[in-house]
Amino acid sequence: MLVSSLVRRRSRLLAALCAIAIGGTVLLGMASISYDIPRQMGREFRSYGANMVLVASGEEALLNLADAARAAKMIPAASLVGMTPFRYEMVRVNMQGYTAVGTDFESARKTSPYWSVTGEWPSGDDEILIGSDIAEFTGLAGGSSITITGRAADGSRFSRDMTVSGVVRSGSVEDGFIVMSLAALEAMTGNSGVADMAELSIAGTEEELDAIASSIRSNVPEVSPRLVKRVTQSETAVLSKLQALVVIVSSVVLVLTMICVATTMMTVVMERRREIGLKKAIGAENRSIAGEFLGEGVLLGFLGGVLGTAFGYVFAQAVCVNVFGRGIILDWKLLPLTIVVSIAVTVCACLLPVRRAVEVEPALVLRGE
Amino acid sequence: MFFRMLTGALLRQRGRMAMIALTMALGASICTAMLNVMFDVGDKVNQELKSYGANLTVVPRGASFLGDLYGDAGPADESAGQDKYLAEDELPKLKTIFWAFNIVDFAPYLQTDALVKGSGNAIDAPVLGTWFDKRFDSPTGESVQTGMVRLKSWWDVDGAWAQDGGPEGEASCMVGANLASKLGVRPGDRVSVTAKGGARLVIAGVFHSGGSEDDCLFAPLWFAQEISGRQGLVSRVEVSALTTPENELARRAARDPNSLSRHEWDTWYCTAYISSIAYQIEEVISNARAKPVLQVAESEGAILQKTQLLMILLTALSLSCASLAISNLVTASVMERSAEIGLIKAVGATSFEVSALIITETMITALLGGALGYFAGLGFAQLIGHTVFGSAIEIRPLVIPLVTLLTVTVALAGSLPAIRLLLSLRPAEVLHGR
Repeated sequence: MLVSSLVRRRSRLLAALCAIAIGGTVLLGMASISYDIPRQMGREFRSYGANMVLVASGEEALLNLADAARAAKMIPAASLVGMTPFRYEMVRVNMQGYTAVGTDFESARKTSPYWSVTGEWPSGDDEILIGSDIAEFTGLAGGSSITITGRAADGSRFSRDMTVSGVVRSGSVEDGFIVMSLAALEAMTGNSGVADMAELSIAGTEEELDAIASSIRSNVPEVSPRLVKRVTQSETAVLSKLQALVVIVSSVVLVLTMICVATTMMTVVMERRREIGLKKAIGAENRSIAGEFLGEGVLLGFLGGVLGTAFGYVFAQAVCVNVFGRGIILDWKLLPLTIVVSIAVTVCACLLPVRRAVEVEPALVLRGE
Repeated sequence: MFFRMLTGALLRQRGRMAMIALTMALGASICTAMLNVMFDVGDKVNQELKSYGANLTVVPRGASFLGDLYGDAGPADESAGQDKYLAEDELPKLKTIFWAFNIVDFAPYLQTDALVKGSGNAIDAPVLGTWFDKRFDSPTGESVQTGMVRLKSWWDVDGAWAQDGGPEGEASCMVGANLASKLGVRPGDRVSVTAKGGARLVIAGVFHSGGSEDDCLFAPLWFAQEISGRQGLVSRVEVSALTTPENELARRAARDPNSLSRHEWDTWYCTAYISSIAYQIEEVISNARAKPVLQVAESEGAILQKTQLLMILLTALSLSCASLAISNLVTASVMERSAEIGLIKAVGATSFEVSALIITETMITALLGGALGYFAGLGFAQLIGHTVFGSAIEIRPLVIPLVTLLTVTVALAGSLPAIRLLLSLRPAEVLHGR
C-alpha cells in the first residue's frame, strides 16, 4: 500500500521531495559554513601579520635561534603560518647611521604579508630592501648599489657592497630600515645563530595561542613568548561577531525554509483527504491510516535528507571555494543530523493534517466538503 | 465578469489564498532581511575592524625618517634627534576634511626621553604625551570626543585610564607593564618624571599591550610638552578612519594623484579610500605627511571584501533556495483547484481566460504576502543588527524593488507549470474526480 501510494502520485511527491531536499541543502550548507567560519576567516586574519613574538627570557638580550626553532616545534605544523627572525644592527652608509635588519625574506612574506615592495624581493645575500623613507631621503631606488659599513661583534670594522633590489613600504617602522637576509648580516658582524626576536603568525583562537604560549614557556624556558594583543584580541572580537552574524542569518533562513517545507507537505497531504475518507469508509482504523502516512513521511524525509546532504555539501563547498579559495572541512556529525531533522520536519508536517483529516466524518469528506 | 470571478475566488478560498500569502510573506521576509544585512555588512564589519586601531599615521614632513635613526625598534625611536613637529592647535582641522565623518578617532603623541623614578632606582624611559579622552569643539561646531581610550581597545588595563586634566591639580599617567615591573610601581603609586622640567604624576593604570608600548609611560599631552619645553607641539598623530577597500584607481592615485584625469580625480577624492583621506589630511595640516599603516589598511580591505563576498553568496543561495521552495508550494496549491478549473472550462471559458484568472489571483495574493513579509523582514534585519553588532541595520529603499521583483518572479514561476498542467486536463475527467 505504501509503495503503490508513492508510485501513483509521482509528480506530487516529487514536489514534496524537492522541497525537503531544498530544506536539507540549506540546513547542511548553512550549518557547515557557520561551523567552519572561524577557521576560514581566521586564516584571512593572518594578513594582519604576527600574533606572537618570541624574545629571550631573563637578562639575555639576544634570542638563540636554535631555542626559537625548538619553541616553534610546540606549535602544530598545520596552524603555524610562519616564523621570521629579526636581528637589528646599527650600520653606516655614506657616514649616515641606519638600522639594518637581518631577516628571512621567504617567511617575512608570510608573517608580514602587508609589506609592499616596489621593485624586486631580494634573491641573493648581496641584495637588500630599503625602507621608503630612506629611499626618499637618499634618492636610492631599485638597482642602485650602496656600501654598508659598521663594526663587527669582535670590534673590527667591515665594509660591504650591496645592491638595492627594491623599496619596502609598510607605513610603520620598516619604512626607516635597511632589510637584508639574516645570513648577509651575520657574515658582516661575524656572530651567528642569534636574533633580537622572532615573529610568529599562528592560525588559532586567543585561547589556543595562550595554550601554545604556556607550553613554550614550560618546555623551552630560554625563550619567552609574548602575544601581540593588538592582533589577538581584535581578531577574537571581530571573528566572534562574524560567526554570530553567520549563525543568526543561517538560523533565520533555516527556520523559514523549514516552515516552507512543512507547508508544502501539509498541502500535499491535505489533497488526500478524500482518500482518507474513503479508507475510513471501508473500515480502516485511524491508527493504520496515520501509520501509513508516518511511513511515507519517514521515507520521503530520508530520501529528501540524503539528497539535501549531497546538495548541501556542494553548496557549502561552492561558497568556501569562491570566498576563501579553500575547501570546507565538513563536520561529519552534521550528515546524520541533517537527515534526522529532515525526517522529523516531514513527519510532523504530515501528521498534523492527517490528524485533522481522520477526525472528520468520512461521508462529509467524500462528498467533497 | 472577470472581476466578479476574481473577488469571488479570492474571498471564497480564503484559507488556501492565506496559505500562499503566508509562504510568500516568509520568503519576502528572508529576502528583505538578507538583502538589508548584506548591503550593510560592509559598514558594520568596518566599524568592528576599528578595534585594530589606527590605520593612518600623520608625521611632520621630513622628520619622520630622521626620528627612526636613533634607537632600535618600536615607538621608542622618535627620540631626541627629532627637530620637526606638528602644531597641536591644527589638530581639530582633521574634523573639517571632506571625509571628516569617517575619521573615527585620533590621538596625538609627543615623545621625549625622561628619567622616571618610582620607589626604587630612576630609569631612563620614553615618555609619551597624548590625549586619553579629549573633548573639544571642532571648527564646524561639532562636539568631538577622541583619544587613546578607543584607539587602543586591545590594551589590558589594570586600574583605570588616565585623565587628560589640566596644569592645575595632580596629573595622572599610564605605565606599561614592563616599565612598571622595573620601577616596582602599582596603580595608585606616584612617579616623578624629569626631563628639562620635572613633576610628579599619579599612576592611574598599568597596561599590558604585548607590544613595545609596554616599556613606555603615557602622560597627558600638556605634561609632556611642559617637561620637554615643546609647548604646543606634537611629534605624530595616529588616526583611525573608516575606509573603502582600495581598487586600481586608488592604487594609481596613491602613487601620484596628478596622474589622474579630472573625472577620475573627482571620483577618487570623493571616495573614502585611505589614500584620499591621507591626501585630505595633508591638505589641512601644514607640513604634514599622512602614511597609511599598511598592516591595518591592507588587511582591512582584504577582510571586508571576503565578508561581503560571503554575505552576497549566502544571500544569493538562500534566496534561490527559498524561491524554489515557494514556487514549488504555489504549484501545489494551484494544482489543487483542478475541479474548479475543470468546471470553468466546461461552461465555456477559454484557456486564456483561465490563465489570466489564476495568474491575477496568485499575483494579488503574492503581492499582499510580499508586502507583509517586507515589514516582517525589516524586523528580522534589526534583530540581526542588534544581536550581532549592537546597532541598527540601515534600511535601504533599493531592497523594495528587489523584493517585489523576486515575489512576482516566484509567483509566476510557481503558477505557470501548474496552469500548463491544468489546461491540458479534460474537463469531464476532472469533474468526474480523477
